[in-house]
Formats: sequence, C-alpha cells, structure tokens
Amino acid sequence: MRSPAAAIGWQFRQRHRWGFAALAGYFVVLAVVKLLIFASGQPITLETPARFAIAVPVPLAATFTYLLAVFSFGFAGDLAARQSIYPARMFTLPMTTAALAGWPMLYGTAIMAIVWLGTRLFVLWPSGVAIPVVWPALLAAVLLAWTQALTWMPYGLPGLRVVVATFWLVVIDTIVLLALHYQASEAVMLAILAPLLPLAYPVARFAVARARRGEVPDWRGLFTRPAQVADLARRGDRHSRPAQAQAWFEWRRHGMSLPALVGVLLPFELALLFAADDAPALVILILLAVLLTPPFMANFTAATVREANPGGGDGYGVTPFMATRPLTSAALVAAKLKMAMWSTLAAWVLVLIAVPLALELSDTSSLVVDRARRVIETIGTPRAVTVAVLAVAALLVSTFKQLVQSLYLGLSGREWVVRLSVFLGLSFLVIIGPLVLWIGNHVAVVWDAIPWILAVLAGLKLSAAGWIATRLYDTGLVSDRTLVAGAAGWVVVVLALHGVLLWLVATPFIPNYLLLLIAILATPLARISAAPVALAWNRHR
Amino acid sequence: MSEPVITVSELTRRFGTKAALASVSLSVSRGAVYGLVGENGAGKTTLIKHILGLLRAESGSVRVFGLDPVADPVGVLSRIGYLSEERDLPDWMRVDELIRYSRAFYPGWDDAYAEELRHAFALDTSATIKNLSKGQTAQVGLLIALAYRPELLVLDEPSTGLDPLVRRNILDAIIRTIADEGRTVLFSSHLLDEVERVADHVTMISHGKIVMSAPLAAIRESHRDGERVPSLDEIFVAHFGVSAASSPDA
Repeated sequence: MRSPAAAIGWQFRQRHRWGFAALAGYFVVLAVVKLLIFASGQPITLETPARFAIAVPVPLAATFTYLLAVFSFGFAGDLAARQSIYPARMFTLPMTTAALAGWPMLYGTAIMAIVWLGTRLFVLWPSGVAIPVVWPALLAAVLLAWTQALTWMPYGLPGLRVVVATFWLVVIDTIVLLALHYQASEAVMLAILAPLLPLAYPVARFAVARARRGEVPDWRGLFTRPAQVADLARRGDRHSRPAQAQAWFEWRRHGMSLPALVGVLLPFELALLFAADDAPALVILILLAVLLTPPFMANFTAATVREANPGGGDGYGVTPFMATRPLTSAALVAAKLKMAMWSTLAAWVLVLIAVPLALELSDTSSLVVDRARRVIETIGTPRAVTVAVLAVAALLVSTFKQLVQSLYLGLSGREWVVRLSVFLGLSFLVIIGPLVLWIGNHVAVVWDAIPWILAVLAGLKLSAAGWIATRLYDTGLVSDRTLVAGAAGWVVVVLALHGVLLWLVATPFIPNYLLLLIAILATPLARISAAPVALAWNRHR
Repeated sequence: MSEPVITVSELTRRFGTKAALASVSLSVSRGAVYGLVGENGAGKTTLIKHILGLLRAESGSVRVFGLDPVADPVGVLSRIGYLSEERDLPDWMRVDELIRYSRAFYPGWDDAYAEELRHAFALDTSATIKNLSKGQTAQVGLLIALAYRPELLVLDEPSTGLDPLVRRNILDAIIRTIADEGRTVLFSSHLLDEVERVADHVTMISHGKIVMSAPLAAIRESHRDGERVPSLDEIFVAHFGVSAASSPDA
C-alpha cells in the first residue's frame, strides 16, 4: 500500500470481505438464473407493478442497505449517539480532512453505481417492466453520499442523526417518486439527481472537519431542567438498593432516547393533520403512522440499548467497570428491561397527549369520533372497547419488545453474532419478495399449511425457551423461584390472551388451537430470557 | 493460619495459540500486600481478570474467599475493591453521581471516609468524569474502590496517570493502612520501586508463568551479593534481562 487512498480502500475490503463475497455469490446465482431463463426462452412476466416491486427492488434494497452501512461506517458507529460515527481512530491519520471525507465517498458512490449497473445489465431477468439503466445508479450514489454526510455529522441531541438522515433521504426519495409519477424522462431524472451528488461532498467534509476537531454540540441542557425536577422528586428513596441504582444508570444512559426521537418526529407527523381536514382516509393514515412511530423508532434505539458498552471502542464487550458490579447478570439485564419499560411508557405518554391535542386543534377530532362511533355500531361497545384496549396494549408491548428482543445479540459481546444477525436479516429481505410471490401463487396450499407452520414455529420457540431455562437453571443465573414464577407468569399471559382472542374472534372457521398457537407466538419469551445467558457469556469469558 | 483470600490452582488460559497463563498457582494470605510484577504481556492483567471472574478458567481453579468468582459474582465482587487499568468509569456521570451510584452496591460504604478521600484528592463533585484528567479519573476510581473498605483491594497498575506526589504520599499510605487493618491488597505494577516500598510479598510473572513468588525480604536476601542487597529492579533485570520500567512495552 503506497497511498492513504489505497489504505482506506484496503480497510473496506479487508473488514467486509465476507459480506462482499456473499454479495458476489448472490449476484452470480441471480445471473445464472437469468441465463437459464434466456436458455429456456420463457421470459417471466410480472403482471403488476406490485409484483415487480416484490421481485426486483425489495431484494436489491437489502444489498444497497448493506453497502450504505459499510461505506458510512455504520457497523462500527453508534447511530443514536451525538458523536460522529466516522471512526475517531482515522482522525489521527496524516491525511487532509478533504481526503478523509472524499475517499470513502468516492469508493462508496462508485461501488453503488457499479452494483446497480452490473445488476441491471447482467443479473435482472426479463420481467415485462421497463427498468431504467442510468438514473437509478445515480440515485443509489446520491443516497449513499448523503447518508455518509449526515451520519458523519456530530449532533446536539442523541438520536437526532436518525431523524435528520431519515427526513432528508425521504425528501430525496419523494422528489424522485414525484418525477416518476409525472413520467419524467431519463434526462430529467439525471438533471434532478446530478447536482445532489457534488452537494453532499462539502457537507461530508464539514461534518468530518467538525468531528475531527472534537466539536460536538450539546443541546441536552435544554432538557435538563425537567429532568432535574423529576430527579429531585425521586431522590429520597433512589439508590437505596443496587437494583435501583442500576436501573437509574440504564435510564440515564438510554431512557430518554426513545421519547426524544418520538418527540422530535411527532410534530412533523401531526402537522399533516392540518392539511388533511376533509379527507378521513388521510387522517386515519396519518394517525396510523403516528401510532406506529414508537415501535418503529424503538428499532433504532434498540441498537444502542443492546450494546454492553455504548460509545466505547468495543461497543459489545462489557467494560471492567460494569462487569465488576456486584450484581448477577440477570439483575443487570433486569435493569435494562425496567429502563425499556419506563422509556416505552414515556414515549407513549407523549403520543397519547399529543394526538388528541393535535386532533382538536386541527378540527379533525370529529372525523375520528365518527369513525369510532361507526365501529361501535358495527361490532358493539364491549368488543370495540376491547379492540381499542388490545390495540393500545399491542402497540405498547410491541414498542417494548422492539427495544429488548435483540438484547441477547448485543449482550453476547461477540461482534460476529451481531453481524450474523444483520446478515440473516438482510438475507430475509432478499428472499421475502420471491416468497411473497410464491405464496400469492399458492394461497390454498399455504392456507392449509398455516396450522403446521404456526405449530412448528411455536415448537421452535418453546424448545429454545426450554434450552434457555435449562441454562439459566444450570448456571444459577436466576433463582429457582424466579424461574418458576417467570414460567407461570408467561403461561398466565398466554392463557389470558387466548381467552380474549376466543371471545373476540368467535368464528368456527378458526379453531381454538390456532388461537392458542397465536397467543404463544405473540407473547415474548425465548429472546428476552436469553439476555442473561448472553450477558454471562460476555461477562465471564 | 487463616484460610487464603485468593487461591489459584493450576490455572491455564490460552488466547488462540498463545498461552496467556500456564499452570499458574498462587495463594494470597489475609492482611498482606502482594505486588504482581512482570513485563507487558506477561499475564498480570489476565490473572487479575480471572480473580475477578471476568475470565473463566479454561483449566485449573480460582477461589476468592473460598468462592468461585464466575459462579458467585455477587458474593465475591461485593467484597472486592477494584481499580481497572483501563480507567473505564462512565464518562457521562458527574463525580457526585458516581459516588451515589456506587454506594448503593456496598452496605459497608463509609461516607466519612469517601469524603476524606475526596478532600485528599481535591476532587470537584460537580465535575463530569469525561472532563477530568487521567490522574483525576484514577483518583475517582480509587475513591470508589476504597470507600466501602473492601476486604480485598485489587489494583491493576494503580500508578498510571497519578503524579509522583499522590503516588508516594497517598497511594502508598492507603495501601499500608489497608494492610495494617488486616485487609488484603493485590496490585500489579511495572514501577518496581513502588512495589519495593509497599509490598510484603512479590510475585514475578513472565510469559504466563510464575517465576518467583516469595516475601520481598526473602527475595532480596536470596539475591544478596556479599554485603550488598540488590534492589527489586536489579533482581528483575537479572531474571528478565531488562528493567520493567524501561521495557519498551512498559
């Protein structure tokens, strides 16, 4: 390696060689499929745009998402942190800031464009849909360049990076979708996208320069006063027990991230109500988006919560300070669960206060009341109330679940476990398109197989839970009493949910055992129980 | 004779193909100050991590207060004060928050002693850890390791970052006081003059093996050259061919 540029390129290649190899393998397989299609002379025709979307862009999205993470250093950094995710170790290299920002951007945008062009020309099979050649390559490069610029920027608040980057990337996507809607030509698309690429570079350079100088704005002071008031109110009995101290630690570390993210997004989402006063469908759609915001944003927060050492060089390893707390691994996990519970409640309190307020101020509350009245008239008050309570409970549980269900991955302390889970997630995205198409073509077969599929999934879940319970018992991570109480509590929740489903879905078409399987699958068990085992594996290596 | 505070028997640990510890056996008796010395990469921190239960014994056994630190972390860690070489305190906390947080874990926390140490180190309670110097961070680490008067104090390179005055006047005094109170100290250091000043017993470790473990006086006596009693540094050089402090890794 004779130049810094070559060294940076080598770093990407070396660090992600297995991912790149897997991608290459995937494309070779697709290319072989295309050759076979050509050889058979039977072009595949995807009748609807929806089917085309499932077969082509969805699998490709996984590839491009992976490349976005690679070239923006997303695997190594903490997306929710205030600090830049550009690796700090590179700031001491004898290179200009322009080069530090420029080379990863150049490599990334070139790879994105090449991957698209290679895919379009050699891999995608004939589908009956005219797929453009050049402008999607430019769009991929633009999206990467702006992702780099916005994720490398230091921010004043934790989580603000996700909000700003998501907002700006959605703006770019919206512009492109509008242009497509008005059937813009390739030249127009290129004219829209081309200026966006060079504009990203000075932003990225500014971001890296600030991060290199250690300039991280801190706007948390704006929120300290209410936090201090809450702190004082609880100071009397706080920290009287180790578990309370640890819960306080986790709350201070991660507790406000989800409510802050939701709080930043809510005003933008609810502002749309003011523009939708006469369109009930749009109001319902906006409310749906608002209600899905906490569980959706919990996914991003979970990436930090699950790290044993957030912000540290080795985010997943337990620091000696934390490992030497005189607490069991189960108690350390319990503190995280408690924090996640309070964080979920805080986020939902925000939503439940903001939504009625926005509905009232935007004069759209009558539309929602009218819809609710119609639902009550159709299914009766008890069922309508139950559905509403269940929906809110499901959203709350879902938010909590998103925060904690991947704890076991991060707490295991092994980067390969996290990478494997990301790889499996992206692989699932790749196969989901063809899978949905296949299901669409074999609805009857799938319908008949649903009980078996659910039974197998429930069997897998219970087997995993059994194995984890055995590990918990053998290693003494939790007491026998806790183990029995936990299992009994889970059974009670499953039976209660089953009872509600039986009452709610009173139809002969869905057998009781199917509802029981659904209740078993819906109630969290195995992954949350695995967290103490994972932490102990990390803590006592 | 009372039961040893730490008993390590035939402990072996490998990282890949490298043997970090090879059949290490060690017994630390109550009320003594043990100095663990050796060149960098010798296995000092690996041994300390086994004693704390942060590493699991591949073969052999580790017992602290007669307990397995991996199987019973609460039973062991609640009786140990530990200062990590990495000085990895949560940098977002203020000093007073860290003190309040830490005291919840230890019923024997001594507020008066904590305050005394805070004064001795001249620490500002409203300062955030990340804004402290390396030496001040080490002092905060020492404060929270000492304030509950642990039965066993484990210090991994405690002098790193401390200025000579604090090192000589405060750290040495603390270590001696703890031993005088019948409690035990195990500390690793590459500053052999410091080890010589405070340790009763010295264990030299090299390439994962204990090459010498004996009372300091006995070691010096066994290396006596006529009337002249060599320093620990000279003994170290005689064994390893390089001074611990001047070693490029040290």
